[in-house]
Amino acid sequence: MKVPPRFFSSTARLAIWYLCAVALGVSALLWSAYLLTQHAMDRNVDLVVETETESLREAYRGGGLKRLIDILDQRVDDWGRLGAAYLLVDSQGQQLAGNLSIWPTVYTAKGQWLEFDIDVTDEGKVVDHPVRAEVVKIGSNRLLVGTDVSERRRFAQRLRATTLWGMGLTVALMAVTGWWFSRRVAARVRAVAQACDSIISGDLTRRLPLESSADEFDQLAGTVNGMLDRIEQQTAAVRVTFNSAAHDLRAPLYRMRARLETALHSAGSADAASRATAEAMRAAIDDLERVQRTLATLLQIAQAEAGGGGVPPEPIDLAQMARELGELYAPEARERGLLLRVEAPGPAIVSGHQQLLAQLMTNLLENAIKYVPSGGAIDLQVRGDKSQVHVSVNDDGPGIPEAAHASMLLPFRRLERDAGAPGSGLGLSLVAAVVRLHHGRLDLQSTAPGLRVCCSFAALNAAALSAAPPAGAQPPALARPRAAHA
Amino acid sequence: MQILLVEDDVEAAGHVVNGLREAGYTVAHAADGEAGLAAARAARHDLLIVDRMLPHMDGLGLVGMLRQEGVSTPVLVLSALGTIDDRVEGLRAGGDDYLVKPFAFAELLARVEALLRRASGDNRHVGTLRVADLEINVLARRVTRAGQPIELTAKEFQLLEFLVRRSGQVVTRTMLLESVWNLHFDPQTNLIDVHISRLRQAIDRDFGPPLLQTIRGSGYCIKDPGAGA
Repeated sequence: MKVPPRFFSSTARLAIWYLCAVALGVSALLWSAYLLTQHAMDRNVDLVVETETESLREAYRGGGLKRLIDILDQRVDDWGRLGAAYLLVDSQGQQLAGNLSIWPTVYTAKGQWLEFDIDVTDEGKVVDHPVRAEVVKIGSNRLLVGTDVSERRRFAQRLRATTLWGMGLTVALMAVTGWWFSRRVAARVRAVAQACDSIISGDLTRRLPLESSADEFDQLAGTVNGMLDRIEQQTAAVRVTFNSAAHDLRAPLYRMRARLETALHSAGSADAASRATAEAMRAAIDDLERVQRTLATLLQIAQAEAGGGGVPPEPIDLAQMARELGELYAPEARERGLLLRVEAPGPAIVSGHQQLLAQLMTNLLENAIKYVPSGGAIDLQVRGDKSQVHVSVNDDGPGIPEAAHASMLLPFRRLERDAGAPGSGLGLSLVAAVVRLHHGRLDLQSTAPGLRVCCSFAALNAAALSAAPPAGAQPPALARPRAAHA
Repeated sequence: MQILLVEDDVEAAGHVVNGLREAGYTVAHAADGEAGLAAARAARHDLLIVDRMLPHMDGLGLVGMLRQEGVSTPVLVLSALGTIDDRVEGLRAGGDDYLVKPFAFAELLARVEALLRRASGDNRHVGTLRVADLEINVLARRVTRAGQPIELTAKEFQLLEFLVRRSGQVVTRTMLLESVWNLHFDPQTNLIDVHISRLRQAIDRDFGPPLLQTIRGSGYCIKDPGAGA
C-alpha cells in the first residue's frame, strides 16, 4: 500500500529534532560558561575591594581619622592610576580625603555596593568609566572604596558576543549539515523506493542502485538485491516447473482423451454392455474436463502470482466489461430464478490484463449464481472516480461466515456446507491473485444475509489514456484469432 | 484438402490423423520441427496444425520461418501450456488460431473447417448475408426473415453474424466465447446454450423451417435445410 509523502521526510524531521537538541545543549553550555566567568570575575573584583576596605578600617581603628586620611592620600597617589576610587566624607558630606571630589549622585545601589559612572579624561577626551564601590561607615564618616570596572565590562561584552556567535554558528552549521544529510538520505531512500516500485510492478530484473561508498545503504541494497536474485530465481523456477507440469500433465490427459474419444467413436451401441461402456467413457471424459479446468485455473493463479506472464498491461474499461459480462450471464441467472442487476455507468478504466480481469469478474458472478438460491438477487457494480475503480458483486445468498473470509481466498478452501456443490475451490483464490497482480484491494463483507465482494483498483488517469485508447472488452487486433473474422 | 500435422506425441497424433481422415481430409504427419519444416516446404498444404513444443525446432520457430519464406497457409497452433502469453505469442508468431491440449476432437475439427473455409472463400466484405429466407444486412445491422424484421440485441446480432458467416459449419461454444465475448477461458456454467436458445426463439420460432441447429457434443450450426449440405 502506498503511503502519501509527508511534507517533511522522516530524515528531515530527525535532523530537525537532532538540530534542536544539540543547539539547545551547546547554547546552554556556552551560556553557563559565560555566566560563570562573569560571576567569577565580579567576585574577584569584590574581594579586592572588600580586602582594601578592611585594611582601611584597620588603619582607622589603629590610628584614628588622621591615620586613615594619610593612608588614603597615599593610596590615591599609588593606586589611583590603576583605577582605584576612594572618597571619605564627613557627616555633612564634605570630602575629607580621596580622589573623587563629590559623592556620586546618580548610582545604582545594592546592599552596601554602589555602581556609578565617573568622568575620566583619556587622551584629551572625557570618557564615562563605570565604577563598582563598597560603602562603609567609619565613625560618623562614610568611606567609599571602589574600582574602575570598564575593562572588565568590555571583556564581559566581548565574552557575551563570542558566546552568542558561537551559539549562532553551531545552529547554522547544524542546520546545513542536517539539511544536506537528510537530502542525501532522502535521495537514496527515494532511489530504493523507485526501484522497489518497479520491482513490485513485475519487473523482477530491476535491482537497487549501489553507490561505491559501501555504507549501510549499500549494504542494505546489496542484501535486498541478493533477496531479489533469489526471488527471481525462484519465480523463474516456479514458472518452469508450472510450464513443465502443465505440459507433462496435459500430454497424458490429451492422449487419454484422444483414446477415449476414438474408442467411444468406434464402440457399437448394439448391446447393453457396450452402452454401459460408452457411458463410462463419457463420464471419464467429463472427469478429464474437470481435471483440465482445475489445472487451467491453477496455472492462471500461478501466472497471475508471477506477474502476469510477461503480457504488458493495457487500458481496460471495467464498466464496459461489466455490462458485457452482465449481458452474458443475465439469461443464465434468469433461468435459475435469480435477478442479475448491473450498474456500471460511464467508463472506469484501469491498467491491467484483460483476460485475467474478465476471469475475475466471471468468477465472482459464477460464485453468486452458484450459491444464491432461486429468488435471490445479484448486483454487479462498477464505480469509478478519479483515483479508484471499485468492482463489487453483492448478493443476498447464504454468504460466508466472517471467520472464514480470509481462508476462503486460499486455494482449495471451501465451506463444509458447499462440499457437495460442483467447483474446484479455486475461484476466489484466482480473484485474490488477480487483485494482487493489479495492486488492488479485495474486501469480503457479510451483508447479512449475503455477501459483498469488492475489488478496488487504481484508476488510470486521462493523460495515460490519450496515449492508448482503452481496449475494453474488445481485444487488440493482434490478440484476436484471425479465424474470428472469417 | 491437404493437412500437415506436426506433433511429437505419436500416439495422440495418430488419433488426430485418423479423426481427420475420417472427416475426409488428407493428412500428413511429421514428428519433429525439422521434419515438419521440410514437409511444409516440400508440398503445398491447405492447413498446418503445429504443436508448440517440438523436438529440434520449436513450433513457433517453424511457423515464423515459414511466414518469412512467404508461406501464408493457415496455421492452427496446439499448446499444452495454455497461459495468456502463450496464446499471444502463438498468434504473434503467425498462427491463425490457437487450441490448448487436451481438446475435444470435435473442437479441433470445427476450427480446422473454419480455417480451411476462410482460406478458400472469404465473405468478409459481403454486405448482405443470406441463409434460406434469413437476411442480414451487416452495415445497417438489420435482420429479416421471410421479409419480416427481427429485433436483436447487439450481442445477439454479433452471435448471429458469426454463425451465418460460417453457415453450414459447426461452430463450437469455445469459438463463440472467444470471438463474440472475447473470453479465452472456460466459464464453468454453460452460458452459450441459453444465448443460442434466445437467438433461436428470435429467428426460428415464428418461422419455418428451423435454421439454427445444435450439433450434439460439438456446438451449433446454422444452415439452409433446403440446400442439403
